[in-house]
Amino acid sequence: MAGSGKGRGRAAFTFNIEAIGFAKGETLPEAVFKPTPLFPPTGFKPVPLKMGEDEDYMLALKQEFRGSMKKMPYFIANKDENQAIEKYSKKYLQMRKESMEWIPDWRRLPREMKPRKKTKKVEKTKKAKVDTTKSNVDVLKKIENMLRSITCDRSWKRKAMEKKSLMRKRRKKKTKRVKKKQQMNKKNMMKRNMKRKMTTLLHILKMEMILVLVVTTTWMKQPISYLY
Amino acid sequence: MTQAEIKLCSLLLQEHFGEIVEKIGSHLIKTGNQPLRMIANDTEMSLDQVKKALCVLIQHNLVTYQLQKRGIVEYEALCSRVLRILRYPRYIYTAKTLYSDMGELIVEELLLNGKMTMSAVVQKVADRLTETMEDGKTMDYAEVSNTFVRLADTHFIQRCPQAPETSENSAAPPPPAPTLEANEKDMYMVPNLNLIGKGKRRRSFGDEDNGEHKPKRQKQDADSKEPPPDDGIYWQVNIDRFHQHFRDQAIVSAVANRMDQTSSEIVRTMLRMSEITTSSNAPYTQPLSSNEIFRSLPAGYNIVKQILDQYLTLLADDPLEFVGKSGDSGGGMYIVNLHKALASLATATLESIVQERFGSRCARIFRLLLRKKHLEQKQVEDFAMIPAKEAKDMLYKMLSENFVSLQEIPKTPDHAPSRTFYLYTVNTLSSARMLLHRCYKSVANLIERRQYETKESKRLLEKSQRVEAILASMQATGAEEVQLQEIEEMITAPERQQLESLKRNVNKIDASENQVDETIFVLESYIDSTVKKA
Repeated sequence: MAGSGKGRGRAAFTFNIEAIGFAKGETLPEAVFKPTPLFPPTGFKPVPLKMGEDEDYMLALKQEFRGSMKKMPYFIANKDENQAIEKYSKKYLQMRKESMEWIPDWRRLPREMKPRKKTKKVEKTKKAKVDTTKSNVDVLKKIENMLRSITCDRSWKRKAMEKKSLMRKRRKKKTKRVKKKQQMNKKNMMKRNMKRKMTTLLHILKMEMILVLVVTTTWMKQPISYLY
Repeated sequence: MTQAEIKLCSLLLQEHFGEIVEKIGSHLIKTGNQPLRMIANDTEMSLDQVKKALCVLIQHNLVTYQLQKRGIVEYEALCSRVLRILRYPRYIYTAKTLYSDMGELIVEELLLNGKMTMSAVVQKVADRLTETMEDGKTMDYAEVSNTFVRLADTHFIQRCPQAPETSENSAAPPPPAPTLEANEKDMYMVPNLNLIGKGKRRRSFGDEDNGEHKPKRQKQDADSKEPPPDDGIYWQVNIDRFHQHFRDQAIVSAVANRMDQTSSEIVRTMLRMSEITTSSNAPYTQPLSSNEIFRSLPAGYNIVKQILDQYLTLLADDPLEFVGKSGDSGGGMYIVNLHKALASLATATLESIVQERFGSRCARIFRLLLRKKHLEQKQVEDFAMIPAKEAKDMLYKMLSENFVSLQEIPKTPDHAPSRTFYLYTVNTLSSARMLLHRCYKSVANLIERRQYETKESKRLLEKSQRVEAILASMQATGAEEVQLQEIEEMITAPERQQLESLKRNVNKIDASENQVDETIFVLESYIDSTVKKA
């Protein structure tokens, strides 16, 4: 009727507990409320490893294989962040690695795999650095040219226009410039900087002073005290 | 792909190919087929890096590509192939036992490079062998080519699928991805090459050698600019054939353990005869008559035909059913039951694992359940002759670890628990899968631990490497004993001990990885044999 199970309020299983081996009225094992431990205790010690010539040889093979894979051109290591102190040996290791570059067979790979050459930028031919022997005549000629370029109006305007078009181009290819800048010759950078600075009067006067000093010292081969 | 497999794949890729390839490889394994742009997007790496990594993976046969509609090429990673990297040392060692040093080096070079042309392989192997030989001797290309041809004839190496030949004047633009065709007939055909040459040493000794070799070297350089005669024909290692060989080895050793040496030799002969005639996933070999077996026995064994027949009958009557009799013509037709043999091997592995993990009493219950298939709790106690309390405890332990499962058989249609039979049973297939998953997990743990140990002692390792380099250079230039001793003392005694223990631990972990891989092989072969190939 209203009563449930054996006695009032007592819990009972819906099946005969003897079916799974527990005797009637026996204390059941505790219920587990947490997940199994991360490193469960093992009842028995593990069996020792197989020893023998074959196993030793295979072990040596495995370690050698790992080592040779690290030296192959297929191993692409992460570019290390700039270390505080660069190792001397690094330079030679890099040289050796670069000499072993691997080129896959493009006929077997999809076309999109092949790196496309950037055709937009025409590669600048690096001018061979000419050894400038410091002769007075050459220096004078250079200085004269520079002075002329500063004072002549038309050339100044031309340079301003060039600068504008350069700026436009630069905005278009900003990202590529950022990369190319690092590779560009320092001399080019300096030259451009110098040209830009020539458009303000103060800088022009400064440059003139320096030029005059240079001319007089090289000509006379001794510093002129009264100019200081 | 299960989590354990993915973790293990990423660890293996990282160890052998570096971080960038590992990121892209594991991403492909997790997400399936993906085109190039999506990979670059999801992994947030530059297109350049992704292209490089994919080239490396395709070269090593770990990733394949497929041309889909609208010209999109999708890339797919082969997870099972990545897991094979664990087994590379075993392949190389097998090649060594079968074809000596030359075979070993050929297989090693092919595994290091993924795919290579025959001429490149022969050249590299000859150079490597020349370096180990005495001064003045060089390895001839002809010998190496011979070993290569033998490897190809026994199907241990095979040709890669061929790229289509593009003619110079093709009207239509080339497709975005070449469709590689695998020609069944030519897969093991070696191209007719006339490889003449000798291995070169890396260092040149003395001026006389230099003078002689200079004109030769110039000639060789000119030759290398032209494409080699077998351009476009790449070779790779045939992993399935190696697996077949391992399986045969396992069956033969099982028979030797169960019976005796002679019967194992008979089974080995039978397997050798059916190497080429039977495909790798056939359930049993082609029937062989007793007369054929008698003729093909190795020369050393001179047993009489009658004794051979007796052995064969014994093998066929064995309850393990490695060998079966399929007819009576020709003195009795016998087959080797490959699938049954694999099942017995897997079951034996399971039994051994239960014994080592839970004890011999549990193992007895396990074997009992394997034999009797389904048993109730009471019956288990009676048959195993183990007291009720302990039997119950052991059964529940095994049940919680999923070695044993419960089968409900209801007496009434309403499945009332008081009127249902609960039977314990062992399902070998599901237990094998569970154990395989556990094996992958354990190998991943081993690799992680090994990396942790090496990272901990990184500074010490670097120091010892430097000291060794200094020692070597000083010995080369000729230094006194006192100086050498001084340099050796740079590494103090406790540091030396630390290095020793590190080396011991790393070796132990590496050896364990190799041995877990053997278990993985047995379980995987068993599971593959049960999967029906569509």
